[in-house]
Amino acid sequence: MSTGQRLPVADPAAVRRYARDIARRHPRMLWSALALHVLAACAGLAAPRLLGGLVQAVEDGTTVSHVDRVAVLLAGFLLLQTVLTRYARYLSQALGEQVLAELREDFVANALALPVGTVESAGSGDLLTRTSRDVDQLGWSVRYALPEWTIAVVTAVLTFAAAVSVGWWVFLPCLLALPPLVTGLRWYLRRARPGYERESASYSQITTTLAETVEGARTVESLGLGADRVARGDADCKASYDAERYTLRLRTVFFPSMEIAYLLPVVGTLLFGGWLYTRGQVSLAEVTAATLYVQMLIDPVDRLISILDELQVGAASLARLLGVAEVPDDRSVTGAVPVDEKIDAEDVRFSYIEGRDVLHGVDLDVGVGERIAMVGPSGAGKSTLGRLLAGIHPPRTGRVTVGDVGLVELPLDDLRGHVALVTQEHHVFVGTLRDNVVLARPGSSDEAIRSALDAVDAWEWVSALPEGLDTVVGSGGRALTPAQAQQVALARLVLADPHTLVLDEATSLIDPRAARHLERSLAAVLEGRTVIAIAHRLFSAHDADRVAVVEDGVISELGSHDDLVAAGGSYAALWESWHGSTTVVE
Amino acid sequence: MARRQRVTLLGGMFFGILWGGAQAVMPAILGLAIDRGVADKDTSQLVLWTGVMLGVGLVQAVSGIMRHRFAVTNWLTAAYRTVQLVTRQTVRLGGTLPRKVSTGEVVAIGTNDLSYIGGLMDISARFTGSVVSFFLVAVLLLRTSVTLGLVVLIGVPLLVLAIGPLLKPLQARSADQRHLMGALANTASDIVGGLRVLRGVGGEQVFLDRYRRESQAARSAGVRVARIQSVLDALQVLLPGVFVVLVVWLGARTAVSGRISAGELVAFYGYAAFLLLPLRTATEFGNKLIRAHVAARRVCLLLDLDPDVVDPAAPRPAPPAGSVLADARSGFRAEPGRMVAIVSDQPDDSAALADRLGLGAATVDDDVTLGGVPLTAMALGEVRRRIVVSDTSSMLFSGPLAAGLDVGGRGGVEAAMHTASAEDVLDGLPDGLDTVVAERGRTFSGGQRQRLVLARALTTDPEVLVLVEPTSAVDAHTEARIASRLRDHRAGRTTVVTTASPLLLDAVDEVALLVDGRVVATGTHAELLETDPVYRAVVTRDVSEVAS
Repeated sequence: MSTGQRLPVADPAAVRRYARDIARRHPRMLWSALALHVLAACAGLAAPRLLGGLVQAVEDGTTVSHVDRVAVLLAGFLLLQTVLTRYARYLSQALGEQVLAELREDFVANALALPVGTVESAGSGDLLTRTSRDVDQLGWSVRYALPEWTIAVVTAVLTFAAAVSVGWWVFLPCLLALPPLVTGLRWYLRRARPGYERESASYSQITTTLAETVEGARTVESLGLGADRVARGDADCKASYDAERYTLRLRTVFFPSMEIAYLLPVVGTLLFGGWLYTRGQVSLAEVTAATLYVQMLIDPVDRLISILDELQVGAASLARLLGVAEVPDDRSVTGAVPVDEKIDAEDVRFSYIEGRDVLHGVDLDVGVGERIAMVGPSGAGKSTLGRLLAGIHPPRTGRVTVGDVGLVELPLDDLRGHVALVTQEHHVFVGTLRDNVVLARPGSSDEAIRSALDAVDAWEWVSALPEGLDTVVGSGGRALTPAQAQQVALARLVLADPHTLVLDEATSLIDPRAARHLERSLAAVLEGRTVIAIAHRLFSAHDADRVAVVEDGVISELGSHDDLVAAGGSYAALWESWHGSTTVVE
Repeated sequence: MARRQRVTLLGGMFFGILWGGAQAVMPAILGLAIDRGVADKDTSQLVLWTGVMLGVGLVQAVSGIMRHRFAVTNWLTAAYRTVQLVTRQTVRLGGTLPRKVSTGEVVAIGTNDLSYIGGLMDISARFTGSVVSFFLVAVLLLRTSVTLGLVVLIGVPLLVLAIGPLLKPLQARSADQRHLMGALANTASDIVGGLRVLRGVGGEQVFLDRYRRESQAARSAGVRVARIQSVLDALQVLLPGVFVVLVVWLGARTAVSGRISAGELVAFYGYAAFLLLPLRTATEFGNKLIRAHVAARRVCLLLDLDPDVVDPAAPRPAPPAGSVLADARSGFRAEPGRMVAIVSDQPDDSAALADRLGLGAATVDDDVTLGGVPLTAMALGEVRRRIVVSDTSSMLFSGPLAAGLDVGGRGGVEAAMHTASAEDVLDGLPDGLDTVVAERGRTFSGGQRQRLVLARALTTDPEVLVLVEPTSAVDAHTEARIASRLRDHRAGRTTVVTTASPLLLDAVDEVALLVDGRVVATGTHAELLETDPVYRAVVTRDVSEVAS
């Protein structure tokens, strides 16, 4: 359960390292895109200069042909800027898509390699959020924010350079912008991020509550929860309103201070330039061009600032995505080769939370080809023991071995050749039924798939589907019943064909009568395989070679069904209560 | 909705106009400042006009933020009102909702439609401001030069139309990309969701390869979008640029002949650059209007629905507490204070009967009666208070566990938890009953969730409690414990359980066997086992096989 820690988040240094690494992977695209952006911005800067000249010329008196020449020049630069912009944008967007694809593929590869224990203690919710929201957020940053920001920076720097190139004096009015800009920005950025995070969290809360109300509409009605749900929805809106109010207050201070910061240099340039002009120190052309340049600065600087936020958010998403790679592996492959197919557990102790062992020294010798049933109350540690026997977790102390090699010393792919685990979790992957069955053994023949499905009593309904094995299932596809999903999970296992199988309540969702039949036909296919079944229904225990009763983290009783019933322990008592009326039947 | 927000909408429009107007006159002021202040070397004029510029700039800043504040208020009011209406309607519809609309569609209202409707309210102020400023600039232009004024007035809309044809292929390609990205995100969630399954039997490589393939397809789609998007970006430079060049060229020629001044020429340049803004706002307004319309229609469709079960016009007086619950169609009867089990060879039949007993089925009939009064003739609230059905689709809601279990606020959670044998669930939680349950209770295992749902149903403590397969996901040990405690917990009140588990059947007062939707036999578990071969076949087939 999700009582544990969250998945790690990469530190800023790691994020920078990764960003540099990515940049180094595509040097040509990166530099060409940058160069094109610089050239495009330069072409765009010609207009104010030309216009300034024109104003001067008009003031001094000029000819129509001069005006025409300037207009042609303006048009030429415009055309140049257009073409350059087209290719600069195209290149940077293509680069963005490339980088994004690499990022998300790396992330999924890392997620697939995560130790299951980590995923569980962090809750799959955290990983899912990273998969959906952070990948999305980063996509937005890489596709739009980053290129826009780069362009804004390039344009701002060049425009400023152009303005100063008109005359050094332009530099002075620009300084006017700094005090409101710097104080406003610092004040805002310090508060903005938590403010907007709270705001977006408040919207997810609205969605969550609404989704729950809608999906649980029946429950709401039958338990009379209506008033409570309405109150909850209203409270969510209130919380969201408060969050919005806060960010609105931030903007109420920030936006005007920015606008004033933009306004001051324009007014200043005009005033200062005008004064210089009256003193004959600059020309009218220079004053006009300078004023227009300073005015042109507003747009890129504004974009630069408004995107800053988004970049911060993108960097935070990147840090979360990269963090997944930092989870230490809980397996240590040694290269040892198992001598036989015998599974052994010796003095196994295990805890999910430090200091709270759920298994207190379990020993279990499993014979090759033996069928062991594990029974016991919920929370006694059956599933945990099953997972240790399948090599999913390393034991805290003691050893779980196959052919005298620790299960966690085997590479994952080899491990699956020895032991596989199927639990009651019935996740159906999006894809065809065939895809779902063959995932452990890609390229299996339809014949093999068919017999695997047959072994779990599933072929009948599969063949009755109009598209048979090609039926698309999983989220968005044809819905399978939980029982059918469990059959598919078992068929997967049959096809994978390891010598040892751990079944954790693998038939719990199937109707008892059907389950009974299924287990029989499964047993026939698995003849000679070692099976450790965590049983939910007692008939499974009855059929097993040995029954292990797990109570409070230890195996309290171990022996054949008849021995245990004769011994009169807790298994016998349970059998009695479950089975109280069999005498009537016989 | 717009009517109820009239004041804030008008406020937004007022500041929108002020803001747009301030922006519109800015180039004119700049032109005047250059003409009268700079070119004429008149310092006092220069100071005057730069001062005006500063003033108008401040007006623009203030009205801009005021406009924004009104816009946000409008956005929020519309969005929250939509959420509240949808929540109330959902609650009103109850069990009818999933039968009439897809739940996904209703949830989509909360995620997408909300922002579309809010977005329209938001842009309305900016749109009004833009329209006003457009005409303001047009008038200013026409006053200085009719030719130039006409060029601007006709040229700008033409320009916006010129971009139109490009938008279509862009939208198609973007839709394609969004679709692929959506599919990709689904694949990723699918992989993450099934991670534990994959770890059990292998297949990680297959999924990684598949993800890589889809990711590359999405990348190519993205590049296709970029190809056309970049043309559009370039056109955003070219078209206004052409316009600016044209205006400057015409303006300069007029200026040469002395009809306009140098400053006015600069002002023209400013107008031409500025005018694109209102037009972009107009296009945006059009798009948002369409989207908001679609969204609003979806909301209205939901609001138009009526629940299947409604209060009768004149409810009959409710029967006294401790009345018999009976169903004429199936012949089922539950005597007051007894615990009755329904067994059927078709589990769906017993679930359907349970549904009807609680007035929760799609088709409403008068066959189910409480103390002789048809449920449909009683006030609906009365029925819900006295008969509670907890079926397999029962959901746990997020929030503090204690409040989630004690829905009526009557207490008794601990006794219910004991009966449902759910104390161990509590022991595993860091904060016990104060623990905050995650969305849909998904951090709990199926068995844990089922026991918590059972405890919640027991806590409501109604006169008649109908439990559908209450122990199907728990292990035999736990089921035995629940079976032994359930009857004492419900002593004196009526309980109906549908189940096929011998452990539970052995613990009830009476069992009713349902075949083809009709009760064919009643008696205790032991009696029926002995006398009824059909019952034996349904309940104990597995047991008899074990014994054989």
